Order: sequence, then structure tokens, then C-alpha cells
Amino acid sequence: MSDAQNEFVEQLAELFGDRLADCSASLGMVTVEVAPKDVYGVLKELRDHPDMRFEQLSDLCAVDYAAYGQGEWITEQATGSGFSRGVRGNSFARLGLTGVYGVDEISGNTARRFAVVYHLLSVSGNRRLRVRTYCEDDNFPVVDSVVSLWAGANWFEREAFDLYGVIFDGHPDLRRLLTDYGFVGHPFRKDFPLIGNVEVRYNEEKGRVVYEPVSIEPRVLVPRVVREDSRYADPAARENAGNG
Amino acid sequence: MSSAVNEFIRSFFLVELLKGLRLTGRNLFKRKVTIQYPEEKAPQSPRFRGLHALRRYPNGEERCIACKLCEAVCPALAITIESEPREDGQRRTTRYDIDLFKCIYCGFCEESCPVDSIVETRIHEYHMEARGENIITKQALLAIGDKYEQQLARDRAMDAPYR
Amino acid sequence: MGDIRSYTMNFGPQHPAAHGVLRLVLEMEGEVIRRADPHVGLLHRATEKLAESKPYNQSIGYMDRLDYVSMMCNEHGYVLAIEKLLGVTPPRRARYIRVLFDEITRILNHLMWLGAHGLDVGAMTVFLYCFREREDLMDCYEAVSGARMHATYYRPGGVYRDLPAQMPRYEPSPYRSDADLERLNAARQGSLLDFIEEFTERFPACVDEYETLLTDNRIWKQRLVGIGTVTPERALELGFTGPMLRGSGVEWDLRKSQPYEVYDELDFDIPVGSNGDCYDRYLVRVEEMRQSNRIIRQCVEWLRNNPGPVMIDDHKIVPPTREEMKDDMESLIHHFKLFTEGYCVPEGEAYAAVEAPKGEFGCYIVSDGANKPYRLKVRAPGFAHLAAMDEMARGHMLADVVALIGTQDIVFGEIDR
Repeated sequence: MSDAQNEFVEQLAELFGDRLADCSASLGMVTVEVAPKDVYGVLKELRDHPDMRFEQLSDLCAVDYAAYGQGEWITEQATGSGFSRGVRGNSFARLGLTGVYGVDEISGNTARRFAVVYHLLSVSGNRRLRVRTYCEDDNFPVVDSVVSLWAGANWFEREAFDLYGVIFDGHPDLRRLLTDYGFVGHPFRKDFPLIGNVEVRYNEEKGRVVYEPVSIEPRVLVPRVVREDSRYADPAARENAGNG
Repeated sequence: MSSAVNEFIRSFFLVELLKGLRLTGRNLFKRKVTIQYPEEKAPQSPRFRGLHALRRYPNGEERCIACKLCEAVCPALAITIESEPREDGQRRTTRYDIDLFKCIYCGFCEESCPVDSIVETRIHEYHMEARGENIITKQALLAIGDKYEQQLARDRAMDAPYR
Repeated sequence: MGDIRSYTMNFGPQHPAAHGVLRLVLEMEGEVIRRADPHVGLLHRATEKLAESKPYNQSIGYMDRLDYVSMMCNEHGYVLAIEKLLGVTPPRRARYIRVLFDEITRILNHLMWLGAHGLDVGAMTVFLYCFREREDLMDCYEAVSGARMHATYYRPGGVYRDLPAQMPRYEPSPYRSDADLERLNAARQGSLLDFIEEFTERFPACVDEYETLLTDNRIWKQRLVGIGTVTPERALELGFTGPMLRGSGVEWDLRKSQPYEVYDELDFDIPVGSNGDCYDRYLVRVEEMRQSNRIIRQCVEWLRNNPGPVMIDDHKIVPPTREEMKDDMESLIHHFKLFTEGYCVPEGEAYAAVEAPKGEFGCYIVSDGANKPYRLKVRAPGFAHLAAMDEMARGHMLADVVALIGTQDIVFGEIDR
């Protein structure tokens, strides 16, 4: 982490104090975590404060953390029967294939499932900042809209709403953007199957396009594997483990 | 003042349009850059990634050992392989299908093949006439490989220093 | 007489000037647009969701297909994000090759844009001339990767193969005399670098040709000057990047301000417009082609003198060479492991942006330590540009929409993703 970034982290901490749930720098970018009720105010200040001046919202996206860190292949220990073959049917890549939810379980309300991530860019200061906010209700994720701060947020928010079902309070025109007219569901959620739920085809008898349940078969040839890799392990943590 | 007059004259006599016409006029009499396709083909790189083929060893034995690397690495899931031990105990594919509609011609199958069996040839002008012909079977793939073996071997040899 | 009633018009999705599958619902008052509502998503392929179900490397080919006229720049954004997460830096030669092909891609893209924009606005000839030059650059793509468009050439840790020492040549045919063939193959006698250098020598004259046809042309100016004016402040707010932002007079180019790869070692200028209208954006892009040409020349020069590896040596991330793989058991294991499971990327998140021809192409990857990305978000420049269509089109005539679509350099592969 460079000095400039450390300085920036301190500057942010000083400016926002308690409103930042977290503030850290990694991989060349500072990340700030803010509660959804504060997000509008913090972003407004980030845009207008003379030391910040983030004139541009580069990107806004939602992330569904429901399946975070879940692999499909047991890698920790070898058993008498060898490794699992990585073919568990209920993984999220294959959701809907077996009729169960892809994620192992979607626990009641974690308040950590849906996050909205803002990538800000300051042209005058030549720096970037990532702001993340976790929606409080998993079943009805709501965040304040920032269209009034950056007009460019309009479509990004529509996209996040379309794909993840995150509601942006105060958005002037929150319609679906990318999916079909009349689409049901939010396709990028981890509990939405990759192959989809319905397919369309032209029915000659009825003389119109009809929706039918999907007929294609899902295939996953490479399981999702999460490996502990000592090369990337935090050196401090490794030392602690060694001592313990 | 003089620039305004100048501007007016230029504008009135369509100077910039005539300049453009002079350019197109010159090009009209220039040598054509087009070629007589399909009789004549544009140059093709030995790295070209076209229709697939399965190759054989010089003794006629098929190279593929059904390791299924290409199946696993295929981003579009276009390859389907089934395998069984042959009578002589060797592991061989019983089915090797490539769905050409799914294939994105990324070249990963060729890159992954440890025995240089599946390759992408220079063939890029092919078509299907009926449904189902998009799925190209092992026999067809081997036949393509047999037919173009010389070319394939030459191209692989040419590119070998880079891979 | 009654009042003139406004009515709604449907533009596209099947319209030759819509550059793909854009459906624009226009509320018109006479010939004046009161509101433009672009309906997008007709080319939505859920690339980001697909990437979540594949090991990292397998999505490289899908990046080509986002903005399908600036293929390698998209790959570049994606592999840069992965490299950030992995903490690897490719060898210098690979970085030069990437810059070389990024700039070739920029010229490819701008030629496509210029041709199509000209065609939309009513200039046929420039389209043909642009495609003449594009053909040569496509040949470079093919020589290096084996595909004329969807290259799948960049890899985390470098590029797949080094530049070929021989450029493919025309074969003899009954339609060509020997002298004719020799002339066609004249530039193809040497390596790919020779071919590119020969191209850079004649390309500036080609740009002059396009300019002769367009820059002063009164029809061209009547169609572009004063159309779709955006102030610099507004351009920033709307999320404009690339030539759209620079056309409004903001001097912002990631290659200069946040240099990636070796751009800080190269000498080039950033053209900036002043009025923020379609005509300025045209001038910016044309000048960018000249600057790209300059960068390419410098890269060719460097690459000539500095042979070396084009991939890092870490076989946990990049597969060993074929020779090693066939000789050595450990290499074979690496080979199998990498082509099945791939590599696991340490937990974290990274945003990497490149200056793609259309603007800032960013990739935001969230990794949970698996061999597949947990979440991939592609920040496509065209997405923000098209979102501003309503604002830019308001008050203009119907015919100006075509000029606006042209000036935004819209490609649906990246907008719909």
C-alpha cells in the first residue's frame, strides 16, 4: 500500500468518522463501507467536498453474496473414498437443475446478502474510490438512488434493479433494462439458474410465441473449487497459526 | 476581411467538394485492392482457427486418448466425449461430438490437447444443410484430419517454436 | 386547425443506422424529438453470469465478444483485473505486445466507426476506404492469434504466443500474374513487425484521405457541427469517457493519467475538443488514429530490439510450453491441472480499467478464492454513453439521432453484455 493511499484512508476516516463501517486499501484501491442510510450523504460529500471531488461515477453494480466462499469440491481432506467428484447437484451454478436452490441455504436475513458497489473517479484528483453498502433486508433490498448526484447512475441503477432486484429509492424511472419485456425474476441472483427458467418458441398451432419450461440440460464440467493457497496467505496470519 | 472573401470564394466554388471528388477520381483509376474471391483467397495464417479435425499418428492410430481436457476447457461446452477401453485395452473415445453452433473457435481445445489430436484447421467455408448437421461426429472429424493431414502437420511445425 | 399532436415513433430494432439491435422509442413533435427512450438488452447474453460459472481463463474469449469491434482491448481489461488479483506482472515484451495490439485495435475500431458514421450520415466512399485499411489490420490479428476478430490472445501473465517471424502470403492463382502477386506480397516478405511497420508508414496518408473527404465537407459539417453538444461538467456527470469526454474538452485519458502496461514510456499526445459536439468528437477520433499510429511505431521499434519471453514463468498460473509438457511429468501435471480446474485466485476484489477505443472499459472482479470469479462486472463505456441519448437527442431533429448514434460509437455487444 502506498503512502498516498494511507493518507487518503486517514483523510476519509477523518472526514466521515462513524459513518464509515470500514475503510481500507487493497490492490491499489481504497474501499469504503457505508450503511445504506448514510450512503447518499456520504456520496454527496464525496462529490462536493473540495478535498474529494469525485466528479464521476464510473460504475455502479450490485453483488449477491449468498454463495460467497462456497465451493463444490471438498479439498480439505482426502477420505477413504477419495475426493468428492465435485458433482454435487445443488450448487448455485446448477440451480434449478435439481429443483432445489443452488445456494446451500439462503439463511433468513443476513443483511449481508446484497451489496451495491460504487466506483467513483475523481478526474481532478486522479484517483478512484470504491464505496460499498450492504442492503439491510435480503428480501427487499433498498438503497437510496444517486441519480440526483450523478446523472450517469440512471442506467446503472436500472441494470442493478433488473439483474438483482435491488430497489433504488428516489430513482425517476426504475424499469427493467436488459431483460425481456415481462421477464420474471432477477437473473443474476445466485439462486437463479444459469440456464434460466423458461424458454420461448414459436407455436405454429397457436400462431404466437409461447413460453415453456427450459428443456436444455445443464452441464458443469469444471466444479467450483476454493483452495487454501499458502502462497497468497497473509504472512501474519500464518505466523499466528504457527505459534498457536 | 480578406479571409471572409477567401472563405466565400472557397465556399462558392465548392472547393472542398471538388477536392474530395479529385481523390475518389484518382482512386477510380488505381489498381483494385479487392481479390477474386472465391477463386482467389486472402492469405491465411498457420495459426488460423477454423473447423476442427482429429488427427492420427503416421501409423494410422488415432491420437486421441480420451483425456477429456478439451471437454473440460471448452468455454462453450461444445464438446461431448464418451470413452471406453478398446478390445486391446487402450482407452479411446467412443463418442466425440463437437457442436459447431456452440463452438466459439477460441482454440483452447487445441491448446489443451496433450497429444496434438484435436486441432483447428484452416477450413472456414463450410455449411450445413439440415438440422443436426451442426454436430460433427468423431468419424467426420477423423476424416477431415486424414484429408488435411499434410497441411495440418506443416502448420503445427511452423508454429511449434511459439507454443 | 387543431394543435400539432406529438406522436411516438419506433426506431429499430431492425434499422441499419441503429448499429445493431437498438430500439429507440421517440416521442416526436413534428420532426423534433421531445424524448428518446432507448430499449436495450436485445443482445443480452449474461456474459457476467456465464463468467461466474467458468474458470477465469475460459471467459477471455467471451470478452472479445463484448465490444466486438475492439476485441483485444476488452481482453486487456479482463486480464489486467485478474493479474491485479493474482499479483503478477507480465514480462516487458508481453506488455509491449499488448500495447501494440491495443493501438491496432484502436485504429480498427475508429476505422469501423468512421466508416459507419460516414455511411449513416451519407458518405459512402469513406466506408470503403476504411475497410481497405481494416483488412490489413485484421491480417495482423490473424497472423498473431489465428482469428481475424475474436482473438483470445491475451492471457493473465502475458500473451499466448510471440509474434510470428513470417507473415502469411497470397498464394499464386490463375487470376494473378506473377508480377501482380509479387506486388501483393511485397509487404509480406518479412515478419509481422515488418508488415505493421509498412502499414504505419502509409497509414497517415490514408487518414489524410479520409479527412479530405470529410473534414471540410459542407454536408458533413452541416450534419455534425452543433449536434449533441455536451458541456464538460455534464459529460463527467453522465459518466462519459474516452473520445466522448475528450470531445467536450476534458483532458482525461487513462493511458496518460493512470498509465497501465508501458504507456508511460511511450510518446503520444491526447487530442481534446472544445465544443463538445459531434464534429469535435470526430476530429478527436481522427487525431487519435494518428496518435495510435505513432505509438505503434514506437512499439514496433522496441519489439524489434528486445526479444524475450511473452509469458511469466509461473506454472501455477500459465501452462508450460508444449515441449516441456511432453518431456516432463511435473509440467504435464501442471498442464492438466490448468486446463481443467484452472488456477485459484486469492480472495479479494479488483477493478482494472483500460482506455478502450470507446472509453473506459473496466472490469470489476470479486474473488472468493475459487477458480471461478465470484462476480464479474463489466463497465462498458458505451453503456454510459447510450444512457445519455435522451439528453443529447432532446430538441434535435429525427435525422440527428442517426448522427448521435454514430458519434457515440455504439456497439451492442458491450452495452447489453
